[in-house]
Amino acid sequence: MKQHLYIEMDNCIGCRSCLAACTQCGGHDNRNRNYVYEVNPLVTRQTIPLMCLHCVNPACARSCPAQAIQITDGGAVLSALVEKCIGCQNCTIACPYGIPKFDEEQNLMYKCDLCYDRTKEGIPPMCASVCPTNTLQWLDEEEVAAKNARHQLGKWTASHQPFEPLEGETNVKINLPGILQGIQKLF
Amino acid sequence: MQKDKFYKTIANKKHPNEEIIPTHCSYCGMQCGMNLRVNKSTNTIIGVEPRYDWPVTLGKMCPKGVTAYQQTNHDDRLLKPLIRDDASLKGTKEGFREASWDEAYTLIVQRFQELQSLYGNDSLSVFSGVSMTNEKCYLTGKFARVALQTRYIDYNGRFCMSSAAAGFLRSFGVDRGSTLPWTDLHETDCLFIAGSNTAECHPTSMFRIWEVQNRGGYLIVADPRETPIARRADVHLDLKPGTDLALANCMVNLLIQNGYTDAEFIADHTNGLEEMKEIVKEFTVEYTSEITGVAPEKLIRAAEIYGRAPNAIVMFARGIEQQHKGADNVSAYTNMCLVSGKIGRPKSGVATFTGQGNGQGGREHGQKSDLLPGYRKLTNPKHVEEVCQVWGIHPDEMPQPGVSAYEMFELMDQKTIRGLYLLCSNPAVSAPNLNFVRAALKNLDFMVCADIYLSESAEFADVVLPSVTWAEDEGTVTNLEGRIIKINKAQEPVGESKPDWMIELELAERLGRGQYFRHLKSARDISDEFRLASKGGYADYYGATWEKIEKQNGVFWPCRDEQDPGTPHMFLDHKFYHPDGKAKLCALPYRPPAEEPCEQYPLRLTTGRVVYHYLSGNQTRRIPFLKDMCPEPYVEVHPETAAEYNIQHDEVVRLYTRRGEAFYKVKIIEAIRRDTLFVPYHFGHKESINLLTIPALDPISRMPEFKVCAAQIEKQPGRGNIQ
Repeated sequence: MKQHLYIEMDNCIGCRSCLAACTQCGGHDNRNRNYVYEVNPLVTRQTIPLMCLHCVNPACARSCPAQAIQITDGGAVLSALVEKCIGCQNCTIACPYGIPKFDEEQNLMYKCDLCYDRTKEGIPPMCASVCPTNTLQWLDEEEVAAKNARHQLGKWTASHQPFEPLEGETNVKINLPGILQGIQKLF
Repeated sequence: MQKDKFYKTIANKKHPNEEIIPTHCSYCGMQCGMNLRVNKSTNTIIGVEPRYDWPVTLGKMCPKGVTAYQQTNHDDRLLKPLIRDDASLKGTKEGFREASWDEAYTLIVQRFQELQSLYGNDSLSVFSGVSMTNEKCYLTGKFARVALQTRYIDYNGRFCMSSAAAGFLRSFGVDRGSTLPWTDLHETDCLFIAGSNTAECHPTSMFRIWEVQNRGGYLIVADPRETPIARRADVHLDLKPGTDLALANCMVNLLIQNGYTDAEFIADHTNGLEEMKEIVKEFTVEYTSEITGVAPEKLIRAAEIYGRAPNAIVMFARGIEQQHKGADNVSAYTNMCLVSGKIGRPKSGVATFTGQGNGQGGREHGQKSDLLPGYRKLTNPKHVEEVCQVWGIHPDEMPQPGVSAYEMFELMDQKTIRGLYLLCSNPAVSAPNLNFVRAALKNLDFMVCADIYLSESAEFADVVLPSVTWAEDEGTVTNLEGRIIKINKAQEPVGESKPDWMIELELAERLGRGQYFRHLKSARDISDEFRLASKGGYADYYGATWEKIEKQNGVFWPCRDEQDPGTPHMFLDHKFYHPDGKAKLCALPYRPPAEEPCEQYPLRLTTGRVVYHYLSGNQTRRIPFLKDMCPEPYVEVHPETAAEYNIQHDEVVRLYTRRGEAFYKVKIIEAIRRDTLFVPYHFGHKESINLLTIPALDPISRMPEFKVCAAQIEKQPGRGNIQ
């Protein structure tokens, strides 16, 4: 069954374990490919992760003049192919979330590949494996549907439904802050 | 077993030419399960892979855990013993030369024997730590008392868990850090968490804690700062540092006033109700609000939620324990469980977040100045006799109780203690009042330090011995649940480094005490002797064999024999460990912090951890990722306070107390009280906040009051925003 990276922003504590773990994936050359932002650092300790959302029709790949960015059957948008990437950095400009990173020395774009090395074998990506707070989860479609049913919070529920707050349909599903809204207290 | 709602069966990634060694993290009391990736050609650790099937943490790790493997083959590892001949260089990194183990041992034995012949056996001391296995902790106690024959041994748990230990002993007659397994946490209905920055200090508890709220349960957090966990709390009790005892007494008072008590439980299973009621009745909402600075409606709401919750767990950590009334705070918060009867059943109870990896096991087996293995007491002749039988010495040879960690430095200052064997600890950063402590270390006639790196404390040593990382040895550790778990060896020691137990055995032999140690040849041998030494004590490990630990995913003590599966939940029979089987409701009059703000020092200084560092930072400051994320300390200031002092974000200020000063960059954040400053304590030399902290000791636990003292900020004209 297809599995998705699922993000619950509310849970994030800013530990950046996802960044540390990213380096541990086989294909990642010890470099992390994700981000954690402080939302309003002079006011609160709230942080949120910014991961590649693996768009179904990704701007990075569309903008690539060399067809260097491939998309797997599972929907993972991969790093640029070494032999094809011409180092133009179109993708870094095209991506609405600022995900692709650029290695000046190698003249090569690299980005989150959803731990293709792991997920191709059905093993969760490193970030979702280690996340101590379940901000990042690796869920099958049934579990994602259950999350969506639980968090009916209007347009901020998850990407592509019912509105389109994000670039377009994404394979990563996100849940913006508000997961506790509407939860019936036990007593 | 123990497969809860979070458990998923997941295979591990297999990399070519690698094997994975299941073990646990080297750092905090969570002891998260992890797999170390080992390259089969080079036999070296090269990475980490989640341990999805560890029931407590399910593969989850904080950034320290993810990068922990980088400690072992780190460039800073000590590969050979170091000797420094020029004592005038003490307190610096300078003057060390590499030496053979033989030369180092010969020098240590010569100098130790010289000091003991001139000044008596008690002129030597051992200062140890609990980021090491039960086997090492046990052997260190035996090494001090049998090989060195000194009374002066104590350990860094005095800066960590001693208040929790003392408080639980008084309330229950037993000190197991948690009365229930962590897999209960997410199933409770209310968590009342006091003085724990859980998200940063024990991050892998967080998925269970958030789940309580996801289920509709409540989270109450008491902390002077709006920490990442307090941010999402249903009630945040934003109290002044050092006022927990008033808050806890008020909670108990409100539970009694509003009828949230369990009269039958109190009558059948506790003592001391009337006396306690007399004390807590003073703590009205108004009076408590005045002391703590917490709004009255928050106090009322918190007590109501805890009182109404069908099941609830009270949890706390160093925030309440590192005070000169830390033991009282522990007993006072524990009173909440006892009056409401919310203890002694699944999903209800009390727990402390153990700070160090083996903070639990390490305090039970004889490293404490007054304790012997199995939590036996040095002052109890029967206990002494039982341990003497295992050790093969006569009770007359057993040294008397010594003094606590900080008091050892006072004795070094007075020249009562002249020699020190320091291992697995870095008090030149972690002790309070560091100007005094560092001078005391310098004042020693001879000091040995065993460590994996040249720590700030090693800079005071005459001889530095290279010990091994946790991944180069094996043994057991007792995690924050009270679960005994197994640490496995993933590679051979680098260079000439040796496990602490081996160093102690070899030194014992050369000190002429080999007859008591010679039969121990491996960590396993030590484990078997130590299980025997704990047998019959209330921290009884006798039945916790390595095989059982492996088979059951850990064994909760007490575990008294081969058939005993261990004790995940304490007090299910409502029998406590005091002689009459009852728990004690403690009557605890309020005392303010040792140092209250005044005109000269109008602010309250508190200290703590950040998620990227562990303890003194001797390990984590060397890991590139962690250092990048948090390279230096800072002082957190509320924007209104910053405006009062006319200081800006990132500006460097002088922070000072009656004991010392340091210079820190200002981090402005609204998520802290206006009257409170916070500085993380993981940094050495001039950056140590412990230069400023107060050595006011708890009368029972001898815990210093790290968590509050009076301080002042001074703007540095011209210094401004330096990088």
